[in-house]
Amino acid sequence: MDEARRARLTAWLRAASGDAALAIEGMALLSGGAIQQNWALDVSGGRAWVLRTDNAATLAVSHGRAQEFALLRAAHAAGVTVPEPLFLCGDAGVTGAPFFVMRRVAGTAAAHRVVRSDTLGGGREACVRALGRELARIHAITPPRAALAFLGEPPADPCGAFVADQRAALDRQRTPRPALEWGLRHLERTAPPPVPPVLVHNDFRTGNIMLDDHGVTAVLDWEFSVWSDPHADLGWLCAKCWRFGNDAQEAGGIGPRAALYDGYGQVEDARVRWWELAAHVRWASIAVDQAERHISGVERNLELALTGHMVPGLEWEILRMVEARDAR
Amino acid sequence: MLAEEPLPPDLLATAREVLLNELLPALPPGKALAVRMVANAIAIATRAAAEPAWEDDALARMAGGPCAFAAAIREGRFDPGTAGHAEAAALLDDITRARCTVSAPRALGKA
Repeated sequence: MDEARRARLTAWLRAASGDAALAIEGMALLSGGAIQQNWALDVSGGRAWVLRTDNAATLAVSHGRAQEFALLRAAHAAGVTVPEPLFLCGDAGVTGAPFFVMRRVAGTAAAHRVVRSDTLGGGREACVRALGRELARIHAITPPRAALAFLGEPPADPCGAFVADQRAALDRQRTPRPALEWGLRHLERTAPPPVPPVLVHNDFRTGNIMLDDHGVTAVLDWEFSVWSDPHADLGWLCAKCWRFGNDAQEAGGIGPRAALYDGYGQVEDARVRWWELAAHVRWASIAVDQAERHISGVERNLELALTGHMVPGLEWEILRMVEARDAR
Repeated sequence: MLAEEPLPPDLLATAREVLLNELLPALPPGKALAVRMVANAIAIATRAAAEPAWEDDALARMAGGPCAFAAAIREGRFDPGTAGHAEAAALLDDITRARCTVSAPRALGKA
């Protein structure tokens, strides 16, 4: 960030915080985030903040910064462990894009480190039990909510809405995806009956959850949240594609599924399994979109290009899951 | 026989060895992820260069082509219990196995 932007940011933060003497003492780009940039801000008075803003290209399916700020506030008020949201700036003239500022939280979210550790999050069982409790708090947020009106009308049938949305996404892609269609058709045939929709984080997985040695320090990345079936979050976390190679620990590669369910409360296992298949289809579709950003030239980037090559592996898993479920 | 050897798969594999064994240890730790991504891209290209052609056979088995095949699946014309179910499932398996052989061999249980 250049000097002019930094000066504008300082002035803006002084007004937003009511601290006319506020000074930015340090500013560093944090790692991670294909869609967002996160800047660590060291602010006078020992304040440690994070500034979150958009990258050059953003996915059409993700919420903007103002929406993510509203979600963070709702989650914070509901007792979910999130970084406290502080200030929102919708004016792109300050730093070049809308941004918000939240309190900085200690810990690590790095997925490959998390799944290898027996101690992070207070140990494997304790950690996934705590994750279950976090999800239960998120799912206690129910529609209607005026501050979350941007989420749209809650679907009467979340599973049916998922299948329809994913088919619409496939119809927007350049090439047909028969294996993903195979998965979606199975999901349509086997969809469980509708449940009342709740707030679903929709990217609640290893890599988006910050941990220290004692427990969960922050649930991050709220940009995909929707009104849906609460089991969607449990299925996304447990999906094999999000265990980062540690397949034996079915809850995110971190700990046992039973402890997650125990921490959550009442869980309909068959419904979670439906959403695990759904998770593979959705992740494959997102991966296709990410590769498309590279292929189309919107954002030439090796990481995006390689993400496209994850799709065949996800398709293979979808075919195996459908085969096993049809054989029951 | 007419092309100059070593052939592209050999060149790519050799370049990948240099990258991982000689360049990676000499680079700052902050560049390790980028190097591993480059190595992964080379590995995909190496496997693609070595894989026998499979698309013509798959397309010949797919009545009406990929769009029609995808649409028929969506309409339920290959659901379990239909006449074409087993054949469609086998075709999807063959296509996906071939795609994984290049892009994601680990998904097939291969390193």
